[in-house]
Amino acid sequence: MAPKDDSTAAPPVDETGVNVSRRAFLKTVGVTGVAAGVIAGPETEAQAAGPAPLGPGEVPITLTIDGKPFKLSVEPRVTLLDAMRDRLDKTGLKRVCDRGSCGACTAIIDGRTAYTCSMLAIEAQGKDIRTIAGLSEGTALHPVQQAIVDHDGTMCGFCTPGFVMASIALLEKHPKPTVEQVRAGLDGNICRCGTYKGLLEAVLEGKKGVTRG
Amino acid sequence: MADDQVPEVQAPARPTRHAKYPWPEPASSAVLGKPTSRIDGPVKVSGRAKYTYDINRPGMLHGRILRSPHAHARLVSLDLSAAQKAPGVKVVLGMLEPGKKAMYQGDEIAALAAVTEQQANDALRLIKAEYEVLPHIALETLAMRDAAPAVFEGGNIKEGDVEQTGDVDAGFKAAAHIVEASYSTQVQTHVCLETKGTVCEWEGDKLTAWVSTQAVHGSREAFAEALGIPQANVRVICEYMGGGFGSKFGPDAQGIVCAKLAKQAGAPVKLMLDRKEEHLAGGNRPSSGSKIKAGVAADGTLTAFDALSWGTGGAGVGAGFPLPYIYTFPNRRRRHRDVYTNAGPARAMRAPGHPQGCFSTEMLMDELADKVRMDPVAFRLKNLPEEAPNRMWRKYFPIAAEKAGWTRRHPTGDPTPGPVKRGMGCAANQWGGGGRGTKAHVDILPDGGVVVRCGTQDLGTGCRTIVTMVAAETLGLPIEAVKAEIGDSNYPFSGGSGGSTTSASVTPAIRVTTGKAFDALAARIAPKMGVEPAALVAKEGRIFPKDTPAKGLAWKEACRLLGTEPVSVDGDWEAGLSASGTSGVQIAEVEVDVDTGVTRVHKIVCVQDCGLVLDPKTATTQCYGGIIMGVNWALFEDRILDRNTGQMVNPNMEWYHLGGMSDIPEMDVTLVNQPERGVIGIGEPPTVSTAAAISNAVANAIGVRIRSLPLTPDKVLNALAQQRAGGTL
Repeated sequence: MAPKDDSTAAPPVDETGVNVSRRAFLKTVGVTGVAAGVIAGPETEAQAAGPAPLGPGEVPITLTIDGKPFKLSVEPRVTLLDAMRDRLDKTGLKRVCDRGSCGACTAIIDGRTAYTCSMLAIEAQGKDIRTIAGLSEGTALHPVQQAIVDHDGTMCGFCTPGFVMASIALLEKHPKPTVEQVRAGLDGNICRCGTYKGLLEAVLEGKKGVTRG
Repeated sequence: MADDQVPEVQAPARPTRHAKYPWPEPASSAVLGKPTSRIDGPVKVSGRAKYTYDINRPGMLHGRILRSPHAHARLVSLDLSAAQKAPGVKVVLGMLEPGKKAMYQGDEIAALAAVTEQQANDALRLIKAEYEVLPHIALETLAMRDAAPAVFEGGNIKEGDVEQTGDVDAGFKAAAHIVEASYSTQVQTHVCLETKGTVCEWEGDKLTAWVSTQAVHGSREAFAEALGIPQANVRVICEYMGGGFGSKFGPDAQGIVCAKLAKQAGAPVKLMLDRKEEHLAGGNRPSSGSKIKAGVAADGTLTAFDALSWGTGGAGVGAGFPLPYIYTFPNRRRRHRDVYTNAGPARAMRAPGHPQGCFSTEMLMDELADKVRMDPVAFRLKNLPEEAPNRMWRKYFPIAAEKAGWTRRHPTGDPTPGPVKRGMGCAANQWGGGGRGTKAHVDILPDGGVVVRCGTQDLGTGCRTIVTMVAAETLGLPIEAVKAEIGDSNYPFSGGSGGSTTSASVTPAIRVTTGKAFDALAARIAPKMGVEPAALVAKEGRIFPKDTPAKGLAWKEACRLLGTEPVSVDGDWEAGLSASGTSGVQIAEVEVDVDTGVTRVHKIVCVQDCGLVLDPKTATTQCYGGIIMGVNWALFEDRILDRNTGQMVNPNMEWYHLGGMSDIPEMDVTLVNQPERGVIGIGEPPTVSTAAAISNAVANAIGVRIRSLPLTPDKVLNALAQQRAGGTL
């Protein structure tokens, strides 16, 4: 769906109702007052009423991660995953494929699972970002995490945080999932060691005691 | 090229029991043999475990490597100047000398380090590398043609010697039936979720390297040698690592250049491969091809075997595999050739060679069984080697058959109407394992604390857990009372985790060292307890004289008698606690949709031994993991090179397929405990026979044999179309 420059036209939306026009995108990232080195062209002229483009140098942003605000500076092209891992030392979620193919970077953003490797950090401003770090206090484990340990659903552990987040999101939506729902819900996560059996059992058991946040 | 260490251990199938610190009998074990959850489970599920990829050091720079875009090219010139001046860049180093050749897409050309990863990526594009593109060989079939360009010094093909036993011609004369067929398997990449890489940090002339490795001590040695510094100046740390499967024995080119970048920059450098680099240059399982002629007598006895085999391990690496595999062909001849191609060099990958040899031989066995109209399991029982502790297939096949419901198996070709056909197939596997020299250190502290240190590594195998369990068993303590510290070359020496040798190398060392630590503790506290040291035993959290349990003390109380000085003991691996040689069988049940060509593995039955089972929970999980890797190799994985450009078509995870949760079969694993043999190893055996069993099951289902992996839908549909057009089975 091509974005339109005519501001009276109905804004294009994707299947979830999110406004995907370029004008709307620029509006969501907000005006943060950093001068841009972007070459102006006729299209930009038409959008002169909107905010200035960001970058290409670092821009200051604020991310709300597991309920806390974090201020940092990143180039617009930095992904949310890399911003968390490299700038904030939040290394729980992993970078594995960097192309939205494996799920190791899964977080829950505004209530939906998202591959943080495929989202820009600047896009994630103003969103509620839940990561693996927010699930447990100190050494106490969330019931789903404990169930994974009990059913040996982790081996090298590199895929595990992504699976945990996907499982939490699934259980919040389907508190008593069928086997088929668990399989479909976790098909967006890949494990090379082969812990799928333990994970399936853990999620089927972990439906008790799922709490938000 | 990687420094491969695939340890091979020759140990007896059944050792003489250790005199002083034997394993306890299963009936009297408090901890060993009981399903125990992974010690490091909590840190992994919570995301707190720090892997090499996660290490962030103050002032750390990001490293990146420039790689050859060409399959075969001479580097004419390399101009680093623009990159050196790029924003944020601190160091740029050439890795390939101008005049030398890049031998595969992905071969290293240069490396640099910059303040941010974005700056490093930008600067990489500013390196001016001029290439003279040369003729290349992408596929082994092309390499074996007469018109193939001469790419490799000494030839593109390395012919092996003919291996011969008995009289092959006589064997064929004695055969009632002869099968002639060709089989092939594809190149498979490791796809460790954590890619390879290091974080290197210098303090003066001392290097600390966090490495994603399956050999902390081996990596220390490799760094020291490559950098020309004393081993004593190198510390390698790997507390947690995201998968190895044989590809991570050393720092490799990327680790060494990372250390060099860090030294020159005067700052720590993190250099991790990205997914594309990992596929191109991170190693792989070689391909295999075999042209086999085999003969069988009317009564089902194998009489002859004659094979030419080949495979490619990429640029300059061999592709050997055992052939024939397991079964007794009294007259046999085999010649193998290694074929070099301009592709990423192979490395050890989980049970090197065995899945290839197993697939080729087991498919052949079913074809021979068909000729004499014998049930495949019965046919195998007729031709297996004699039973021995490390050759238990005669016992395992009936067990697996019963669990799989083998009597339901129809003859080749499911007669059920409709597009979904079901079938069953079987295969056997063998592996070595066994242990070798490992050192350990145990501290028993005056407050009752117990610390066990060993410079081994846990790839997700559960090593940390069995180390803890063995020490706890030896001291009569719960596992919570023991702290296991591994993954650091500052800890006592241990070999690399390869060949399924870790458990058999490490746990005897832990058993012996902890036993000696207890003896040392007893020697110090017995006088204060008014007894002879030899009288004391540790059990259920107490230390007491064997004959008068009531006169004992709780563990902590007893340790307090040490005063201020802990017990601190070093020990070694000793014989009598481990052995070599495992055997197993697997049966697969599959469904094939003949309209779409899609195969679904419904169930895998696995019967597997590994000597003494220390933790049935983690050992069973190893079996699940191996089976799943076998399913992936059978159906999905394929490193595809474009035949014209030699470039990998699918160096990512959307087109290099691994199964997801919906693709995983039901798995029924029986671990056969052989306590009298000691610890052996379980990492590799369960992945060997899965694909062979699946392939045999597919043939049983659809009535046509597809003799190559992966069993993709197009192959199934083509095979069925050929059959309808009048092709033979």
